[in-house]
Amino acid sequence: MPSWIQQAAHRGILTSRYPRVAASEPDEIPLTARGPLPTGPIGPAAVDGCPVGAISPSGVDQGRCVRCARCLATGFRFGAPIEMAGTSPASLRTSTVAPAPSGAGSLAELGRSLHVFLVDVGSCNACNLEVLALANPFYDASRLGIFFTNSPRHADVLLVVGVPTAAMIEPVRRAYEAIPAPKAVVAIGACPISGGVFRGQPGLRSSLDELVPVDLFVPGCPPAPTQILDALLTLAGRGRRER
Amino acid sequence: MSPVVRRVGAADRFDLTPDRALAYAAPDGAFALYNDYTENASWLVPGAASGSVSEIAANWLGGGDDGPTRRLAPREAVEGYGTFTFPYGPISMGVPESGRFDVVTYGERVLELTPVGGYKSRRILPSLAGATLADAALRVERLAGNVSASHVAAFLAAAESAEGVAVPTSELWTRAVAQELQRVYNHVHLLARIAEAANQNVGAAQSHALAEELLRLQGRVFGHRWSFGALLPGGPPRRLDGPGRRSLAEDLRRRREEFEELWELFLDSRTFIDRIQGTCPVPREAAVRWGAVGPTLRACGVPWDDRLRVPVAPYTDLFVPLPVERDGDALARLLVRVQEVRASLLLLEQLLDRWPAPGEAPQPAAPPVDPGRGLGRVEGPSGDLVYDVRVAGSRIAAVGVRTPSDANWPVFASGMRGAVFTDFHFALESFGLVFAETDR
Ligand code: SF4
Ligand code: SF4
Repeated sequence: MPSWIQQAAHRGILTSRYPRVAASEPDEIPLTARGPLPTGPIGPAAVDGCPVGAISPSGVDQGRCVRCARCLATGFRFGAPIEMAGTSPASLRTSTVAPAPSGAGSLAELGRSLHVFLVDVGSCNACNLEVLALANPFYDASRLGIFFTNSPRHADVLLVVGVPTAAMIEPVRRAYEAIPAPKAVVAIGACPISGGVFRGQPGLRSSLDELVPVDLFVPGCPPAPTQILDALLTLAGRGRRER
Repeated sequence: MSPVVRRVGAADRFDLTPDRALAYAAPDGAFALYNDYTENASWLVPGAASGSVSEIAANWLGGGDDGPTRRLAPREAVEGYGTFTFPYGPISMGVPESGRFDVVTYGERVLELTPVGGYKSRRILPSLAGATLADAALRVERLAGNVSASHVAAFLAAAESAEGVAVPTSELWTRAVAQELQRVYNHVHLLARIAEAANQNVGAAQSHALAEELLRLQGRVFGHRWSFGALLPGGPPRRLDGPGRRSLAEDLRRRREEFEELWELFLDSRTFIDRIQGTCPVPREAAVRWGAVGPTLRACGVPWDDRLRVPVAPYTDLFVPLPVERDGDALARLLVRVQEVRASLLLLEQLLDRWPAPGEAPQPAAPPVDPGRGLGRVEGPSGDLVYDVRVAGSRIAAVGVRTPSDANWPVFASGMRGAVFTDFHFALESFGLVFAETDR
């Protein structure tokens, strides 16, 4: 009789070897997970064609980009580094790219596992599911000492997804207050970095750092699980693969 | 139920019988969606909806709660000795999206559970007015990311009908591929979530692994794990040429084998089946009365699926299986989804096998309901999804929508009456509800 164990054994080891080995493409990093980069001078067609104003003559603001691919027709390609978490929205502009150093944020000195609490402040649900995918056997974040917790009191890291709505301002602040120090906040996806496709809509905040102090910003719409994992490892002061 | 409890309020104003009309947010207020489950007739009746339907719309869609939040299902007033109400949420354990559940209980049993939304409202619909079709579609596909393909397909169908344009056949087929892939993903993901709630750790892990493989598959074919951009002009390049289709078909055969092995093991797990059997039952009458859609409706024996009842190309040319169960409980809803995974894989096989030849004549869009106004209706993973789009020139004038979650939140709430709170998570997952769909 087949059993769960046999079935699991039959499927072999699924778990990624990231970050010891580079993330695989397109499986772990599909085409649009890498941000767009210009292949030549940036013309007005590219600037005007970007639906979220992410392109300027000097480069691409990866924190605004929603990976719609329209700029491919005006000489861009998806080729930005996979590991792109930055310590400020400004650090995500590729003309002035300033990748977060390992240990950015305050949790490197903990020298132990990280407990993560997820809060949705107005997402489309895709970012939530990408964060939760870190628990599936392909990423198995627990192998790297990263665990999800259901209580902010047991957490070190607040992961925030979505564009902040008025109704979620108080709840996210309360969740932040409830986490004991030392703690860190990670903004996942274009929504909490820049408002994403909802930027400038009445009643919404365009950036999470207006509400709580943010340590790392992870661009993407949504970022791939590996990119979220990279941000958490960066916080914990552990190695990154690329750049 | 405790004898000291009596229901003092009435949910009658939400009672949609006998016309089985379902209010939805139209650009100009209430619309009624009539589903006559006994015949093929089913369509939207604009404007002059009956008084009761307008009132339902006002209560249901227009707030009726404090501040920016709103009830997603009617609340009956329940009172009695020892009852108390506690709000669960908006950040609640085991529910990854933000939303609230107001629970009335006297201890163990749930007397009333009212989902409350609005925490994630992004005011997407009003923001679409004045946008180009392409810009509007970017926001529509981010209305609810895990079911983006169904939203974009319904939105585009409505807009194309409003504009009276013809659509290339291969585009319609690509929409179907994206929708069926997402249906399979969502159904497998729900299986994983239910297994998780039932502490079936190995089964949950294996199902989550299969769900991940299905996201990777979307990533390979469409360049994006959630198929964002896949159905839009100027989106990422697709891999649906001859070799791309062959490798997708090959991949799907492997996923099918994995799924069958997995499901066989679940069926062997008596504890799993026992845990979900009888949980959160929705009798057929209740499902019809509340206007249930999708697997929730089909799990109560009602054979309704938009792909058969209001079909558009390519579903008109394909064999579409229609799985139906009788018991209306969490197990029945899961059994419908399991059979739909097989059905969608079969549909994908047909789609990839019979891909339209290049140069095939474009298909005319459905005739507009009014000049400049079109309706698009597709069967999303959790059920009937309707878009109502008005255009003015080359821009969007107004958009209304009725999502499967709008329809099914009240059904979930009705199923939870009398349940024990420990059933909450299986019950919730078995409906496939998405707060983002109602908090749009
Ligand atoms: S991918 Fe889209 S959002 Fe990103 S820079 Fe290019 S055009 Fe702008
Ligand atoms: S960043 Fe993109 S994927 Fe994430 S919640 Fe916002 S719209 Fe959805």
